[in-house]
Amino acid sequence: ACGGDDNEDTGNNEEGQEESENDSGDSGSESASDVEYEEQEWEFVTEELKGQVQYEYAAEFADRIKEKTNGKITVTPYEYGALGSEVDQAQLLQDGGVQMAVMSPGFTGGQVPDGQIFSLHYFFPADPKLTQEVLNTSEALNKDLRAKYEEHSISPLAFWSEGSMAWTSNVGIEKPSDWEGLNMRVQESPLMKKTYDAYGASVQSLSWGELYTALDRETVDAQENPVFFIESASFHEVQDTLTISRHNNYIAMTTVNTEWYNGLGDAEKQLIDETVEEMQSWVFEEQKKQNDAGLEAIKNDSEYDTKIIELTDEQIAEFKKVAEPVHEYYKNEVEGIDPAIYDKLKKEIEEVSGE
Amino acid sequence: MIRFGGRKKVNKVKSVFNKVDRAFMKLEEFLLSFSIILISIMIVGNVFARELFDSGAFYFAYEVSKFAIIITTFLGISYVARKGRHISMSAFYDFAPMKVRKVMMIIINLVTAAVMFVLAYYTYGFVMAEYESNAITTSLQLPRYLMYIFLPIGFFVTGVQFLRNTFVNFTKKAKDKVYLGTDAVDYNDEKDKEVKLEDISSV
Amino acid sequence: MLATLLSIMIVFLFLNFPMMIPLILGPLLVMFIYNGDKLDLLMNTFMKQLLTGIESPVLLCVPLFIFAADIMTAGKTSQRLLDFVGSFIGHIRGGYAVTTAASCTMFGAISGSTQATVVAIGRPMRERLLKNGYKDSSAMALIINSSDVALLIPPSIGMIIYALAAGQGVSVGDLFIAGIIPGLIVFLAFAIYSIIYAKVKNLPLAPKASWKERFHFFKKALLPLGFPVLIVGGIYQGWFTPVEASGISVLYALILEVLIFRTIPFTRIPKIALSTGLVTSAVFILVAGGQMFTWVLGYARIPQQITEAVLGTDPSQLYVLAIVSIFFFIGCMFVDPIVVILILTPIFVPAAQSAGIDLIHLGIIITFQAALGSATPPFGVDIFTASAVFKKPYLEVIKSTPPYIAMLLVIGVLLILFPQLSLALIN
Ligand code: NA
Ligand code: NA
Repeated sequence: ACGGDDNEDTGNNEEGQEESENDSGDSGSESASDVEYEEQEWEFVTEELKGQVQYEYAAEFADRIKEKTNGKITVTPYEYGALGSEVDQAQLLQDGGVQMAVMSPGFTGGQVPDGQIFSLHYFFPADPKLTQEVLNTSEALNKDLRAKYEEHSISPLAFWSEGSMAWTSNVGIEKPSDWEGLNMRVQESPLMKKTYDAYGASVQSLSWGELYTALDRETVDAQENPVFFIESASFHEVQDTLTISRHNNYIAMTTVNTEWYNGLGDAEKQLIDETVEEMQSWVFEEQKKQNDAGLEAIKNDSEYDTKIIELTDEQIAEFKKVAEPVHEYYKNEVEGIDPAIYDKLKKEIEEVSGE
Repeated sequence: MIRFGGRKKVNKVKSVFNKVDRAFMKLEEFLLSFSIILISIMIVGNVFARELFDSGAFYFAYEVSKFAIIITTFLGISYVARKGRHISMSAFYDFAPMKVRKVMMIIINLVTAAVMFVLAYYTYGFVMAEYESNAITTSLQLPRYLMYIFLPIGFFVTGVQFLRNTFVNFTKKAKDKVYLGTDAVDYNDEKDKEVKLEDISSV
Repeated sequence: MLATLLSIMIVFLFLNFPMMIPLILGPLLVMFIYNGDKLDLLMNTFMKQLLTGIESPVLLCVPLFIFAADIMTAGKTSQRLLDFVGSFIGHIRGGYAVTTAASCTMFGAISGSTQATVVAIGRPMRERLLKNGYKDSSAMALIINSSDVALLIPPSIGMIIYALAAGQGVSVGDLFIAGIIPGLIVFLAFAIYSIIYAKVKNLPLAPKASWKERFHFFKKALLPLGFPVLIVGGIYQGWFTPVEASGISVLYALILEVLIFRTIPFTRIPKIALSTGLVTSAVFILVAGGQMFTWVLGYARIPQQITEAVLGTDPSQLYVLAIVSIFFFIGCMFVDPIVVILILTPIFVPAAQSAGIDLIHLGIIITFQAALGSATPPFGVDIFTASAVFKKPYLEVIKSTPPYIAMLLVIGVLLILFPQLSLALIN
C-alpha cells in the first residue's frame, strides 16, 4: 500500500538514465543551496569493513550528503560487526533503529525468498556493465521486488553489484565437468545445493572463520566470492587457480527504513533519491577499481602463484546450459518466491542483453 | 487450602508439587544431555559424510547444532540455577559469616529472578516480531521463530527457579545453612563433601 | 556512558551475583538510561544479541572439547598418562613435580579445557606430591599453573574463541601450531623450577622404574598418546577442521574408554553429557551476555574511542602488545577468560592490524595472558576452582603462586619481544 509514491520515484529513475545530467545538474544544485535542512543524524550500517566496497559506499554517501546540506545532515557509517551479524543489522533497519543500510539479499533470504534470484547462475548477463544496466532499469526489481521488501519495512532504493563472483580451487575450473566430486563451500540452502548438484559438486557448510584453513588443507575444494574479497581474505594463498566465471554477481542494495523514509519531507526524499542515483555510477567504478586492484595483487603475488582462468564466451555458454534447468527449479520449486517477478526480470534481461 | 485441608492435604499438595518438580528436572536433564550428544553426532556425521563419501548429506549439521546449542544454553540456565552452579565472583562472599551470606543469597536470587522475568518479557517481544516476519532458516527452511522461542521460555523458567532459590532460604532446612539453589547447599557450609568435575562450571 | 556501564557491572560482580547478571543487566540499564527514547526501535536487535553471541558455528567446539575431556576424566586416560610420564622422569630430583607439569602439558594436548586438567591430573598428583613431602600450597600452585598450559597447547578453547572474536583471516590451525613452543617454554620453566625447589628443600627421590616397567606403561599410554597425533595430523591432512576436531575427540574418547579400555559403561554417557551440558550452559550464557555488552559499546562507537584514547594514533608494535597484555591480564584476573577474550579482542584487533602485528602472534599473546590472568590472585577463576576441588581455603591456595606468576610474567615479556617464538613453526 505504501509503495505507491515510491514506485513513482523509481519510475523516474528508469527514464533518468538519459536525463541524469539534467537531474543532478539543475535540481541538484537547487536542493544544495536553496533548501534549509533541519539538523539531523542518520545512521548507515554496512556488511563490510573499512576499505571494502560497501563501507566506502556509505562513507562517500555521507560526504555527499554533508556537502549538499552544508553539514546540517550528518550520516554516520558503521563497519560490519559493530552492531551484530548481517541478520541483526537487517532487523535493526526494519525496526527503525538505524535509518539506512547496505545489505545483500542473501541475508534477508529468510524473509524475502525472492532475494535468492540473484544467486542463480548465469541468469543475469555475464557482462558486468549489462548487469548494472538491468539493475538500474528493471521494473521487476525496482518496483515489484521493492514492494516485497517494503512488506518488511525495508525499501531498497537501488541495486548494485560489488563485482562478478569468481571461483577459486586447486583444480582449475573451465568446464562444468571440472566440478565433478568437488566439495564446494557455499551457503547451505536448497537452491545452492541444487545449483552445484547440477555441476556434480557437493555443497559443504563450513563457518567463515575456518574457510581459509579448510581450503589450505583441502578439507573443502572450492569457494566463491568477488575478486576484491578473495584477495583481502587471502584465499589465493591457499588455492592454485582463480576462475573469472561471472556466474553471478555479489549484489548489494541501498536500503532505508520504509516508514522513516515515507515520513521524510519532500526535500530530504529528493536529496536521498538523487544521491543514491548519482552513486550508482560511482559504485560501479569503485567496485571495478577494487576488483581490478585485487586481481592485480593476486597476479603479482610472487610468494603465492595463482593461475587466472578467464572463461571464454563458449565456455560460459556451456555452463549456462547446465545452469538453466536450475532457473526453472527456482521458479517452480523454491519456497515462497513470486514466479511473476522471475518472468518479468527474465524478459527485461533478454531485452538488455539483446537476446 | 491449608485452613481447610489440614496437614494431610498440605502433604499431598506438596508431594504432587514435588513430583511435577522432579519430572520437570528430568526433562531438563534429558534435553541438556540429548543436545550435547546430538551436536557430537552432527559434527562427526558431517566429517564422515564429506571425507568418506564426498557427500553434503549432513548439510543441516550446523543448523541442527545451532538449535541444540540454543536449547542447551537457554533451557540449561534454570537447571544450572537449581544446582547453584552459575559462575560468580565469590571472593568477598566466601569471607562473609553465615548470616550475611544468607541475606546476600536471598537478595541475589530475588534480583536475579526479576532480571530473568524482564528478559523473558523482552525476548518474548522479539520472538513475536520474528513470528510475524515469517522468516525461515537457510538449510531446513523451518520458521525461524521456532529456534528463538527457547529464550523467553528459558528466562521465564529460570526466573521461577531463582524465586524458588530465594524461598528455600526461608525454609526450616535452611536454618543453619545457606542454599545457593534449591538442590545446592552453599559449599562454605559443606566442607566435607567431595567435589567432582561435575561440580565445576567453567572451562 | 562507559563509566556507568562498568560501575554497574563491577558492583554486581563483586556482590557475588551470577556473572550473567552484570553482563546482561549492565548493557540493559545503559539501554534504558541512554537510549530510552529509541527503546522500541532498538530492543529487538539488542535482545537478538543473546543469540548472535552463541550462534557462531566455531563455538560448537567448546561443548565438544569439554565433553571429550569429561569422558577421559571419568575414564582411565589421565591415569595412563601419569603412569607413563612418571615411569620415565619420576625418579629425578623433583620428579613428582616435573611429572605433574609434564602430565598437565600432555593432558592439555588432548583436552582444550583448563578445568578438566586440574581435576584429571591435579587430583591424583596432589596426593602423590603430599605423600612425598611437598607442602599443600606448593602442590596446588604447581597444579593450577601447569593446568593453564592446556590453554597454550593445542587444542585450545581459548584460541578458538580468539579466532572467532578476531574475525577474518585468523586460522585456528595456525594458532594451534603457534602455541606449541610457548607452551613448551612454560613447561620447561616449571620443570627447572621444580628441580631447583626439590634440591633446596631436599625432597625425597622416587624409585627408578625399570625399562620393562617403562615399556609396560608406554604400551598402556599408547592409545591416549595417539590423541594429539590424530588431532593435529587430521587437521593437517584436511580430514577435519579444528572445530570438527572437537567432535573427533569425542569419538576417540568414546572408542578408548567405552570400547577398548571398558572403563565406562555406555549407559553412563548421557550422565556425562549432562554434566557437559551444564557447564556449556553456564559458560554460554556469559558468551551471550558478552555479545550484548559488545553491541551496546558498538552502538555508542566506544571501541574506536578507547583505542584512540589508550593507543593514540600511530602506536608502535611493542606498545600495542604491552597494552593488550595488561588489559587481558587484568581482565582475566576478574572474569572468565572466554568472556574477556570475546569482549576485548574486537576492541584491540584493528589497532594491532594497523600497527602491523601478526594476528597469530597477537592471538598467542592474548591466550597466554588469559592463562596467566586466570591463575593470578586475587580473583583468577582457577584459584577458586582449586579451592573448591581441593577443599582448601583461598589463602592457602594462593600462598605459593608468586614464583609461578613471576616466571610467567617473564615469559610473557619474552613472547612480546620475540614474535619468532610463536611464528617459527608456522613459517
Ligand atoms: Na594460489
Ligand atoms: Na589444550
